[in-house]
Amino acid sequence: MKRRTFLTTAAAAAVVTMISGCGSTAAAPSAADPQATVDYSGTLSVLTKFGGDPLQPYFEKIAKSYQKMHPEVKIQLIQETDQSIKDKTKTLTASGALPDVYFSWTGNWAENFVSGGLAADLSAVIGPDSAWGKTFGAASVDAFKFDGKYYGVPLYNDAKFMGYNKAIFSKLGISVPSTFDELLGVCAKIKSAGYEPIAFGNKDGWPALHFVQQLLAYNVPAAILAADYIPSTAKFDDPGYVKALGQFKELADQCTGSGAQSNGVLYSTAQQALASGQAAMYYQEILEFDNVDAPANQISKDGFGFFQLPAPSGASGDSKALEGAPEGYLINAKSKNVALAVDFMKFVTEKENASLLSSAPYGQPSTVLGAVDSSNSSASVAAGVEQINKADVLVPWLDTANVPDVADTWLSATEGLITGNLTPSQVMDQVRKASAGAK
Amino acid sequence: MMADPVFWTALINNVFYAVVSVIVQVSGALALAAVIEGLRSERLRGILRATYFIPSAISLTVAGLLFYFIYEPELGLLNGLLDSLGLNQLTQAWLGQENTAIWGIIAMSQWQGFGYSTLLFAVAIQRIPSELYDAAAIDGVGGLKKFWTITMPLTREMTGLMMIVTVAGSFQVFNEVMVMTSGGPNNSSQVLGTWLYRSGFVRNDFGYAAAIATVIFVVTIVLALIQLWYGRRRRVEW
Repeated sequence: MKRRTFLTTAAAAAVVTMISGCGSTAAAPSAADPQATVDYSGTLSVLTKFGGDPLQPYFEKIAKSYQKMHPEVKIQLIQETDQSIKDKTKTLTASGALPDVYFSWTGNWAENFVSGGLAADLSAVIGPDSAWGKTFGAASVDAFKFDGKYYGVPLYNDAKFMGYNKAIFSKLGISVPSTFDELLGVCAKIKSAGYEPIAFGNKDGWPALHFVQQLLAYNVPAAILAADYIPSTAKFDDPGYVKALGQFKELADQCTGSGAQSNGVLYSTAQQALASGQAAMYYQEILEFDNVDAPANQISKDGFGFFQLPAPSGASGDSKALEGAPEGYLINAKSKNVALAVDFMKFVTEKENASLLSSAPYGQPSTVLGAVDSSNSSASVAAGVEQINKADVLVPWLDTANVPDVADTWLSATEGLITGNLTPSQVMDQVRKASAGAK
Repeated sequence: MMADPVFWTALINNVFYAVVSVIVQVSGALALAAVIEGLRSERLRGILRATYFIPSAISLTVAGLLFYFIYEPELGLLNGLLDSLGLNQLTQAWLGQENTAIWGIIAMSQWQGFGYSTLLFAVAIQRIPSELYDAAAIDGVGGLKKFWTITMPLTREMTGLMMIVTVAGSFQVFNEVMVMTSGGPNNSSQVLGTWLYRSGFVRNDFGYAAAIATVIFVVTIVLALIQLWYGRRRRVEW
């Protein structure tokens, strides 16, 4: 990429502005000690991903309870949605206004904050040998481990499953498919009965990536996949990539009602199609289970079931890998009160609050041990968590595992694959090019 | 930047935006304003001006969302209308396909901005002395010729201004694209503004985003200077 001097200067100025902005709120080193004595005063800003119903009231309730216990503390909540949180976090980071506690995915997303010095090292308080760390599932805490240090507070587990309408399956005499080919066969049968086999809306781009990443885990050996996440070692030349994309295209064409038009449909429209009994299946996160299976919805009467997207026979990846990862919170290393932030997050993850998070209407399966069971969670969420705990390998989301420009290329190229403008090989050409540019 | 195909897609989309906007929001709005101002009934003129202006009172973000649902392939009004007219072979995912997404956004934008331009042209036409039209009528000049020989020359300044505002605005488009497609599918509806945003805030390449911002600045200022220079040479005084 050739640029004239003045363009380079302008670009450099923007980066310098951003970096200096990030540094403008630097605190004294002692303030970043998570084990320091907690000063229960002042304002603690918290950026959550719980904006909108039904999740928004959760942190509001927690903040109210915490403020009642510590009247001198004010919790300032910034609540964003799943769609807006990325942009909001980046904007706040660039302007040096990152809150004291902020939401993070695992993988490359969290790693960027760690390498940028914006995530406090919490090893002393949440490491596996610490009292707080022992309250979580070990894998959840490990998901935020970088270079041997622990940076994140995992709040809930998430994974992707195919939700289905039991009444439609039973009416058509269909059993849960055990291979990818069987799934395609089931789709044909459901379609001929007048139902939409798999509801699919890809307006936001990431729903397709969820299918693709699960199929990549099945088709590409895990070691190759892991090496390809890192630009310096990435090759993206395993034949499993093209195979997985081909399978996704088959599924989009044969199983979804919207097919090549799916890029114009919202994921919430697809979610509603399963909830209302118009569609037989919808590929969803466990976090969506309670929303889909709400008592007012038709599927609640028909019966809601779920299964892992079946693996293609003979695929060369890990046929037992499950796409999913915990989601959690990082504490700003430049916060003026890291100890207070840690104390607040300890309160959020106390068993009572963790159970509240796992119960309806929130339905977010807590990472705290013993917080999710059939007494406080819906049967499907409890069963989903059991499957997550049983999974041999959890594969992170494609868009958070890869570096941003590669992730963005996956997203746009997969949209092209859906409309038929790109072939699987062309998608991989674009991904390889983006990865080479990120080296 | 020159080797980035998305940059060129975005630039071409901005050019499409500008061309359509000049046709609809400058030429079309001037013609409509002339028709409205030519009506005898003051009350009808007022009603029409207000009616055409209403979409401009709606924010671009809201209008974008509104049209997103109109274009929705399964539940949207547009496909429903085509179905009911027996034109179901024309139904499609207007914002979900590479070849229609940008045109769907441009169409929405014209609907939103057309009334505002019409109102400004109506004001400019009202400033033209009525004696000129009366004299032309006595000479037996028809409506079209009056438009061509009186209205157009005497609204040239407003036309020039509208050209600058419309063309410069077309290179600064952002809201409606973000709301309706975020530049997708497959980057087909990217414009310079959204590609700048995506490069900086999604792909973390702030340097490249700054370079795109510089291109937008240069393009808009050059176009504005050319139009100012051209408009000054042909100014009509009365």
